[in-house]
Amino acid sequence: MENQVETKKILLVNQLKELETISQYLEELAGGWDLSVPFTMKLTLALEEAFTNIVNYGFQDDESHEIALVFEKQNNRLFISLIDDGIPYDPTLTTDPDINLSAEERKIGGLGIFLIRKMMDKVSYQRIGKNNVLKMEKTITPN
Amino acid sequence: MKLNFSEVNNFKVIEIIGRIDSITAPDFENGVMKFMSDGVTKLIFDCSKLDYVSSSGLRVFLMAQKKLSTNKGMLKVCCLQPAIKEIFDISGFSQIFAIEDTIESASRN
Repeated sequence: MENQVETKKILLVNQLKELETISQYLEELAGGWDLSVPFTMKLTLALEEAFTNIVNYGFQDDESHEIALVFEKQNNRLFISLIDDGIPYDPTLTTDPDINLSAEERKIGGLGIFLIRKMMDKVSYQRIGKNNVLKMEKTITPN
Repeated sequence: MKLNFSEVNNFKVIEIIGRIDSITAPDFENGVMKFMSDGVTKLIFDCSKLDYVSSSGLRVFLMAQKKLSTNKGMLKVCCLQPAIKEIFDISGFSQIFAIEDTIESASRN
């Protein structure tokens, strides 16, 4: 049982309607891997933000592209990779919004990647060949 | 996602039901902005039935706040579920918005 690794993978196309697929998939995953409702919501949010960015900004042609989500559970640690063949883009390089500004001063937008960082323990990016690989990690907790 | 519009103590109320994600956020934005175009100055977002919100929805909350601040209006956000409140806290939105626990307290001027 020590260091047992379980892997699940889902392939999606670059359309926002796939967010529903992701949400349903995560609910099934939560059942199988015994993930709590609040924990699953955090995963859903992080994945929505990352996936939406890829769909909205990743592709300059009108072709259909495949986006892979890979989930890996290693004891109480969860690793998620998003793999797409869009233009090179490292979201980890963006600066966080200043959350202490007033409503008047706050810019509309720019929260997506910030939320990913906050929802997950660790986020890293690699360009591997013609793919963007965004990796996220989170220790499985009850909330 | 579904929006219900009503009025309590001179406050216009938008009840948000369901999920605001990148798919439903455009409908949320249109609904809110259309409702506000009638010169609304006192507005409450009733979030008791809001189950999920991503950055695409948060930006609409901020747009409404900016619009009302410009018109010297007042925006209250009420009845956030704990998971949604956490997202508001993390985003710094709990400091930006007047957050109330009930519709009654939110509509008390």
